[in-house]
Amino acid sequence: MLFKRFCFASALALSVSIPALVAAQDRPTLNFAVDNLWPTMDPVIGISTTGGRVHSNIFETLVQRNYFEDPDGNELIPGLATSWERTSDTVWTLTIREGVTFHNGDPMTAADVAFSLSADRLWGDAPMAPRGASFASGLVRVGAIDDYTVELETEFPDATFIARLTTPIGFVLPKDYYESVGTEEFGQNPIGTGPYRVVDFDPSTRLTAEAFDGYWGSDPMFSSISWNVISEYSTRYAGLVSGEFDLIVSIPTDQLSVVENTDGVNLLVSQVGNYPMFAFNTLDIDGMEDNPIMDADLRKAMVMAVDMDTLARALWDDATYAPTPFNFPEYGDYHDPDRQATYGYDPERAAEYLARSGYDGETLRWHIVRGFFPNYETAAEFMVEEWADLGINVEIRILDNFALAYERPFHLLNMSMSSEFTGDPYRPLWLDWGPGSNRVIASHRTWEPTEGFLDAGQRFARAQEFDERYAAYMDLLAEWEDVMPAMYLWRNVQTFAMRDGLEFDPGSTQVTVFDERYVTLTE
Amino acid sequence: MTRIILFKTLRAIITLLVAVTLVFLFIRLSGDPAVALAPPDAPPAVIEEYRQRLGLDQPLWTQYLSYIGGMFQGNFGYSIHTGRSAPSLFMDRLPATLLLGLTALGISVVLGVTLGTIAALRHNSAIDRMVMSFSVFAFAMPNFFFGLLVVLTGALVFGVYFGGSGATRSLGQLLAPAATLGLATMGSFARFTRSSLLETLNKPFMTALAARGVPFRRRLLRHAVPNAAIPVVTMLGLSLGGIVAGAVVTEQVFSWPGVGQLLIRSVETRDIAVLQFIVLMIALVMTVTNLLVDLLYLALDPRMRGGRNG
Repeated sequence: MLFKRFCFASALALSVSIPALVAAQDRPTLNFAVDNLWPTMDPVIGISTTGGRVHSNIFETLVQRNYFEDPDGNELIPGLATSWERTSDTVWTLTIREGVTFHNGDPMTAADVAFSLSADRLWGDAPMAPRGASFASGLVRVGAIDDYTVELETEFPDATFIARLTTPIGFVLPKDYYESVGTEEFGQNPIGTGPYRVVDFDPSTRLTAEAFDGYWGSDPMFSSISWNVISEYSTRYAGLVSGEFDLIVSIPTDQLSVVENTDGVNLLVSQVGNYPMFAFNTLDIDGMEDNPIMDADLRKAMVMAVDMDTLARALWDDATYAPTPFNFPEYGDYHDPDRQATYGYDPERAAEYLARSGYDGETLRWHIVRGFFPNYETAAEFMVEEWADLGINVEIRILDNFALAYERPFHLLNMSMSSEFTGDPYRPLWLDWGPGSNRVIASHRTWEPTEGFLDAGQRFARAQEFDERYAAYMDLLAEWEDVMPAMYLWRNVQTFAMRDGLEFDPGSTQVTVFDERYVTLTE
Repeated sequence: MTRIILFKTLRAIITLLVAVTLVFLFIRLSGDPAVALAPPDAPPAVIEEYRQRLGLDQPLWTQYLSYIGGMFQGNFGYSIHTGRSAPSLFMDRLPATLLLGLTALGISVVLGVTLGTIAALRHNSAIDRMVMSFSVFAFAMPNFFFGLLVVLTGALVFGVYFGGSGATRSLGQLLAPAATLGLATMGSFARFTRSSLLETLNKPFMTALAARGVPFRRRLLRHAVPNAAIPVVTMLGLSLGGIVAGAVVTEQVFSWPGVGQLLIRSVETRDIAVLQFIVLMIALVMTVTNLLVDLLYLALDPRMRGGRNG
């Protein structure tokens, strides 16, 4: 039992005299059972769903997205930066919060911010955390002006660059400590400014973090939080029912009703900004000269042949739906619930496009990584049947890992796309499909952006006003749909189960933060 | 005699080398390891960095020679994710695995031998049939299924958590996975004990002892048991060897922080050095145990010393 039962009367009496002490003693612990932990806790090297469940409790970003008042997180609020302004067309000046200390006692200053965003760490040649490069793209200079002022200069005027500081590159890490121990050691013994400090980390068993007494913000809610790796769902469930865990994640779809009907346990099913999809291999490289899927009419026929929305709702018991391309709720003003897909479900039109294409009954291979996403393989089987009805032969190949899935020949390749980034289509449409993206440069690349797409992307990245950006976004979308290099399946669903007395709701983000904004204790 | 021992030792070394080579090759042939260990969305630069750090950009034979060479110098490589040496990660997990394995073996030997003895003594009775049916059930029941039953029954019926990795530590958290793990071997021990003891009890020397008026207790404990024990002890020896491998499935179901769990984890994250070291250790212990059992036979049974059984 985590929440120690204590005498309310005496706690109340004591709280009048020495509130801080009592708070520290009576704070409950939070035991969270997760399915996995990322091997390193460096928040950029370890960008991942499993890492995101920990990072924001240990580290803090310069700017935050307000998920607690707006579930889609479309408003930016101060984090470790108290304010920001554009001091010239290409320069953002940040004021850094004073009185913040790292878990090792070092004060946080502009030097730490500059280090965290530096070329050495993120965007130079051979950086320490190369996965940060795409998040930091456009950055050309980072400088600490004084102890609490930092300047960020971008290659061209970028009106929305500040939103990038809500992503993992916005986490501020301690320069001296990081440089003295190196990336690997930092990933095992991470230090941040967050409300909890890591006291024990073994990637295959557990991460334990204790309340950090020197935290600048309000007192941490829990005396400690542990993320326990319990890979087997039934064991997570058993731990929740028996009181070992307060919160568990990832409940299989067929077990949702069981959890719902369990006494003392509550279920949370919510949509998140992440989309399972598949890419069409539109290229003829690596011995695929006769690749039939290079024909855009065939791709459009396949997309129009599937009633994705009905399928998604049936598989997920109405917990989610199939969005029209790049029209996601977490895009704020860019989102239009009434917009129709240019190539939506339409069997007759699909048959027309198929007849027009040069497809001649060749077998198309769909590479799927085993257990990649809940319901993905089931959905694939349905889709293959719908395509077969139309006369398109698709063969599913279930493979053990991405390395095998990336080996050609394949015509369809499973993937997922996160749209959780800056609250606009910048990442999912431009970064994920643009000229520097894996879709274009990796060994498993699947398309070559059109001239029109590249042009619209440049306009989108450089636009200063919303209207201009919106127009460029619509052009990007039209170019993308005209090529149809992929099909998005549904908005992903995340599930939590928690004990009575604990109410937790992260909104549409897969990042879990355990503070009073997202957690309520009712016991 | 010396030649036989030398021959068997040489064979053990070759077995080890083959095991190490197979693991080395399989890891590299089941998809590009650099891609497999990088996150799915990792840019090419990240994959290239992994490739260089792991030396995967070198020709296969160069990698192989440097791996074998390092091994003979006691360098078994480092975890790509944590930077710790493979042996230290393995040694961290070994105590938990030994604790679980020895407890499971204890449970299965004590219960299996007792049940097998009862069945042999009550040959063809209802008890015998019950014990034998139970041993078939125990042997046939898949570990993961029984483990899940134990975990779920514990939580839903008794409100007790039998999984590991939580904050609490209790005897139940050791006994539940140990019983699950011991169940299958318990069935084997019961059957071995029963058939071996029955065979001994029916030998002429046992009839002769009875004719001489030796009391039953004495006949059983002083004469039958030591003779019947040989195959059971052999099986015990071989089971000890298997303990180091950990119980991959049981450790996974119960979240027991042992070698088996580390093995699964290393496969998932393609932590090559750790994976290679675990397999090497399992192969080493198995080979050494087999070698010892072979040598023990040589010492015990003069017929084996002919040299043709090598």
